[in-house]
Amino acid sequence: MRKSWLRDYIIKRLLYSIVIAWGILTITFILVRVGPSSPADKYLANLAAKGHDPAQVIAAIEARYGLDKPILQQYGEYMLNLLQGNWGWSLSTSMPVMELIKRHWIYSFQLILLSSLFAAVLGILIGIYSAVRQYTKTDYAFTFLSFIGISIPNFWLGVMLILIFSVKLGIFKTYYDTTLPLFSLANLKALVLPVITLGTGMLAAYVRYTRSAMLENLRKPFVVTARAKGLPEHVVIGKHVFRNALLPLVTIIMFDLGSIVFGGAYLTEIVFGIPGLGQVSFNAIFANDYPVVVAITLIGTLVVLLVNLTTDIIYTYLDPRIRYD
Amino acid sequence: MRRKVVTIVCAVLAVICLASGGMHLSCSQGRGEIRVKGVFIEGQSGGDAETLNWILAADATSFSYVGHTLDSLAVYDNNFNIQLRCLAKDIEVSPDGLVYTITIRDDLRWSDGSPVTAEDYVYTLKNLMFSDWLNYPYKGDWQEEVNGEKVFVTPEVVNQTTFTITRKTVYPEFIYTLYDLTPYPKYIAQKYEGDAKAFTQAPEFNNLSYTGNLGPYRFKEWNRNDRFVVERNPDYYLGKDVGAPYFEQYIIKLFGTSATRQAALEAGDITYSAIEPEQVAKFKGLPDIKVYTVPTRGYTILAYNQRANGWERLRHKEVRQALSMAISKHAIAQNILLGFAEPAFSFIPKVSPWYTEEGVMKYGVDELHDKQKAAEILYQLGYGIKQADGTIKVTDKDGKLLQLVLVVNVGSKPAEDMAFFIRKELLSLGIETEIKLVPWPTLLRQYVMNAVPGSKQEPAYNNGPDAVSQEKWDLILMGFGTDPLAPSGSHVFFASDGGLNFMGYSNPQVDELFARARSKEALDKEARKKIYAELSRLLSEEQPVNFLAFHRANYGFRKNVMGIEPGVNMGYNYHLWYFE
Repeated sequence: MRKSWLRDYIIKRLLYSIVIAWGILTITFILVRVGPSSPADKYLANLAAKGHDPAQVIAAIEARYGLDKPILQQYGEYMLNLLQGNWGWSLSTSMPVMELIKRHWIYSFQLILLSSLFAAVLGILIGIYSAVRQYTKTDYAFTFLSFIGISIPNFWLGVMLILIFSVKLGIFKTYYDTTLPLFSLANLKALVLPVITLGTGMLAAYVRYTRSAMLENLRKPFVVTARAKGLPEHVVIGKHVFRNALLPLVTIIMFDLGSIVFGGAYLTEIVFGIPGLGQVSFNAIFANDYPVVVAITLIGTLVVLLVNLTTDIIYTYLDPRIRYD
Repeated sequence: MRRKVVTIVCAVLAVICLASGGMHLSCSQGRGEIRVKGVFIEGQSGGDAETLNWILAADATSFSYVGHTLDSLAVYDNNFNIQLRCLAKDIEVSPDGLVYTITIRDDLRWSDGSPVTAEDYVYTLKNLMFSDWLNYPYKGDWQEEVNGEKVFVTPEVVNQTTFTITRKTVYPEFIYTLYDLTPYPKYIAQKYEGDAKAFTQAPEFNNLSYTGNLGPYRFKEWNRNDRFVVERNPDYYLGKDVGAPYFEQYIIKLFGTSATRQAALEAGDITYSAIEPEQVAKFKGLPDIKVYTVPTRGYTILAYNQRANGWERLRHKEVRQALSMAISKHAIAQNILLGFAEPAFSFIPKVSPWYTEEGVMKYGVDELHDKQKAAEILYQLGYGIKQADGTIKVTDKDGKLLQLVLVVNVGSKPAEDMAFFIRKELLSLGIETEIKLVPWPTLLRQYVMNAVPGSKQEPAYNNGPDAVSQEKWDLILMGFGTDPLAPSGSHVFFASDGGLNFMGYSNPQVDELFARARSKEALDKEARKKIYAELSRLLSEEQPVNFLAFHRANYGFRKNVMGIEPGVNMGYNYHLWYFE
């Protein structure tokens, strides 16, 4: 019975997701095309320098990319191609958009996954320890370090890590080497500094959230009951208290996962020279590379929708009382 | 083509392959002892290339990537001597200056082994660059105005290795455009002719699979926003006698910031990189790095708004002269640019063979750096009051505080420092300057581009004397650049109808001089020299902009890289560099 309502809920959400994604795709498509910028803008300065008529050249370049057609026609062609798996041609990198994304998504994915794991696992463990050992010196130390971790700009942290561990100590390379095999120790080593850079802020935040959630649940009557029943302390903390504290944590962690791709990861990619989707998206925006901007927006939308759906599903396992009808 | 882009983008090190004719001492001594080894990694920041299909490119980076695999007809060494590349001999110009005869080498080959011929060059011009279907953005370089109409120059094949280009009007510096020419293979391009989309996406052109022996390297891999990799071309037409190039691979590694790029050089993860001025002393102290400081063609200016939405007195040269007199160029060059610049007084860089200081007014240095005199001039024009102690405070016509707006691109620390320094200098005259730090696209769109108010004009960089920008401004700090060999290209900044004359400057004498520099009269080099000397003198006197400083660039190499000849065209012989 549980499975049937959950299955129905998932199907409903997936259908909603398709509609939402289509809506956002449409809005983005229209916005980038009606804005004042154009992919031909990059020619403006050079054309003016040569004394040429920019308007005529820009019109010609836009015609080359089909941007001179009526917007509805462009939209129709784009949607038709999209359904056939053709996401268009990237104007700023001269390759198919699908190919561009295929080549670069893995760099962002591995960075985000490892950073999130690093931050979540360590953050939760330290948060639990801090809550259980509240007001001890260790708790104060972790609290202090958490505030530092939250405050440090990850851009600055990344550069500092490079200067210390790469330049001075020579332990790591100063940039991420994309020639390393993906599933190798060398690749893992190459990701150490980027993961620390991206994960530190999240780690610090998870320490605080976990500590707070744990403290809130430690005071509840069921904890007294569990102890009174004679359960070992690690069972009380790990199975009962932590499980209840996990709900808000899951929300925060999943939210970070959804937003980090085109947000925090970008700065880390810049510092370490990781050619991920963060860089791709920002470069596309500045270059007025419409097909890439629309594709990246679509991917971002789908990631967020999927993450939200996954979060909702996880809730039902964490708290069987939760039901979506 | 490529040089024109570099002129606009200041101080870009265009690493274009050059082959020596084996005339360098370092080549003739022990050339046979040099082994091919190692991977040369160049660190770059500032963005990736857009395309390897160069005819579609707008950015200098794209041309520089392609340049590793495709030589142009000729390049220049650091003394601006011609170094022939695909040319068999220098271009011959007819006495009337209208016909250019180009003879290419007979040993150039495409990747399929077929010879590169004059037909490929002429096809590239007539069927690609001049075509309507491809819409090559810079086709204007190959056009001339005849009886009020724009017409293309006429390329014609003479024989397998010779073709001519005939003009109807004389333009002595057109030869520099020719030296930049690179061909597409006709046998491949014909397949895509007429279909712009197919041409744009052509795998041969996007993967440089046709380049044959035309460059010291062959394309291997391009991972966007990461690295561009080329591998040694053993068939390179210029390298086969000396075994060049000497690196197994040449990699351009992209960095997001200059800090990480320089850190990579220091750590030994890359071979070569530009060095920021404040880091030069540190890198010079490192045992494994050698640093070269070289002149560039870029300079910084303080533009004066002579359009209707700027302080109206800026339209008077005495006022511009007075403001220029108040700003110390030595201070800018030494303190802000840390000595990696020298004061500029006109638009032609010192490295140019057309450079002269004769008659040039040197505002901002020595006796023409005089704040008291500047205040006196403005006072005489009615813009100041004499204070009780006898000093002059510059004011507006009503005796109130004179306020100017100075706009500068945010993100460049030297530019920001310069802006604040200029504000301090003008404040000593009593002029209050509001500094606006804006992103580059905003600076262009809202302050530089202009249109006639109330008209339906699309904003452009120069929409005529009555056009004004969207936002008011009085001063803009920005970088310009001058082609040292073809300074007449700077007419775009200073001629009344110049495409980049956003300041609204107009002087018929200057217009006439630029026109003469691009006319038959300038075929005579002595005459051209005199024209440029007069232009330098006149512009230094007129001060349409305050020419602040010519920049020098700093480059760091690992110590084991040999064969480098530092200079303004430092990369011209890079195919002869090697690891010790």
